[in-house]
Amino acid sequence: MLLDPRAIVFFCANALLLFLMLLVNSALAASPVYLLLLGPMVVLPALYLRHQSYFICTLFSGLWVDAALPVPFGLCTSGLLLCGAFVFMTRSRFRAEHNYHPILIAHGLNFFMIGLLSLAAGFPEWSSVAFWIQVATTSLASHGALLVVAPWFFNFERMLFMLFHLENEPEELPLL
Amino acid sequence: MAKLRLDKVKPLVALGVFLAAWWVIPTTVKSFMQVSFAEFQAPAWVATSYLDDLEGFWARRSHSKVELIEAGRDLARIKSLYQFNAQRNRTLELEVERLEAILNLPSRREFRYEVARVIRRDLSAWWQHLIIRKGRDFDIPVGAAVVFSGGVVGRVVEVDAFTSRVELITSPNFRIAARFEGDERPVVYQGAPQSGFGDPVGSVRDAPQDIMASRQAPLQLVSTRLGGSFPPGLSIGRVTWLEPGSSGIFQAGQVELDPRLLSLHEVAVLISLSPTDSVNNAP
Repeated sequence: MLLDPRAIVFFCANALLLFLMLLVNSALAASPVYLLLLGPMVVLPALYLRHQSYFICTLFSGLWVDAALPVPFGLCTSGLLLCGAFVFMTRSRFRAEHNYHPILIAHGLNFFMIGLLSLAAGFPEWSSVAFWIQVATTSLASHGALLVVAPWFFNFERMLFMLFHLENEPEELPLL
Repeated sequence: MAKLRLDKVKPLVALGVFLAAWWVIPTTVKSFMQVSFAEFQAPAWVATSYLDDLEGFWARRSHSKVELIEAGRDLARIKSLYQFNAQRNRTLELEVERLEAILNLPSRREFRYEVARVIRRDLSAWWQHLIIRKGRDFDIPVGAAVVFSGGVVGRVVEVDAFTSRVELITSPNFRIAARFEGDERPVVYQGAPQSGFGDPVGSVRDAPQDIMASRQAPLQLVSTRLGGSFPPGLSIGRVTWLEPGSSGIFQAGQVELDPRLLSLHEVAVLISLSPTDSVNNAP
């Protein structure tokens, strides 16, 4: 099969996560809190799917994020694919059927995405203390929120598999 | 064994192929993809905005008749005040036109106001944007000025079919010509990175040396006709101190902006009735 149906489920879940993230950020606009929750989007696709399906899912998720955020088009796609490539290459080391490893990976990837966006902001912003204060606040708030959001999101994705009668096991279980 | 190694590097090869392809793909194709994905998402945001309106409607329905009567009375008072102001405004406009005719002055740029609801606020360390619920369906042009009752909000940077993206005045990428109230000499206003704590701020530079600002006697920064997008006299913010700039010839300082910028619900887009010539920047 060209595309694993689970890739579509992952993509829809990613779109929902992005929508909720932007909705919360819009409501919190007057406060210093901003949530960036892109890390969990790549984790399960990279751990569960074959390479072709994972790649298509991550590519479309990245383009979806790029269209929603005012970043250079392709930045988040490249970032998510880079993160995904790392997780995919090392996936035999992680247990995908439980949340512990995916949550840790999600935190790592989210931190990478925050770093990538800060890097892309350019030199004039880097020299500002206010910019780094807000990046630090965003990082703290996002990773705090991830402690709650990431387990919910992974369980939600697995629940969708059950709901649509899809395979609930990763393609390649880790070698023990 | 060789197959295993190839499998291992497959994600990196795919990533490399993607990056190479992305580098080669023409900009028009990328723009088309971006617009397509953005248009797919827009209905969700527009629907959310209409749901918000519906929620507000039902919330108001639950108000008592006494509260509604009081609100109606207040509105009637405000309406009569605005009607009086409109009359006064019309008289002043006629007077200005008469004086312009006597002095043979060139005509000013005229704008029409398109009021739009804010459907999303994206205010972070990396970007300072708003999404409004009007786009090409209301002929919103890229570069149009956006204002609210407190003054300048920003500028339209992206227009889609039913939504537009507005870059806020707080964004470091936002820069306009401005002047201090009571002084005709132009200065430069630019947004500044926000810490997120406290009220929003911007920066002003190229202010002449003889201008003084203090907390006791702050200066009001307003828009000018220079640049063309904004009508003159719109409030930008308040300057409470100025210090010598990096050149030593001019002064620079911080601009305190209206805190309501961070929680806007409705804004007005100024659409020029005589579009600017992009080459000469003249109407």
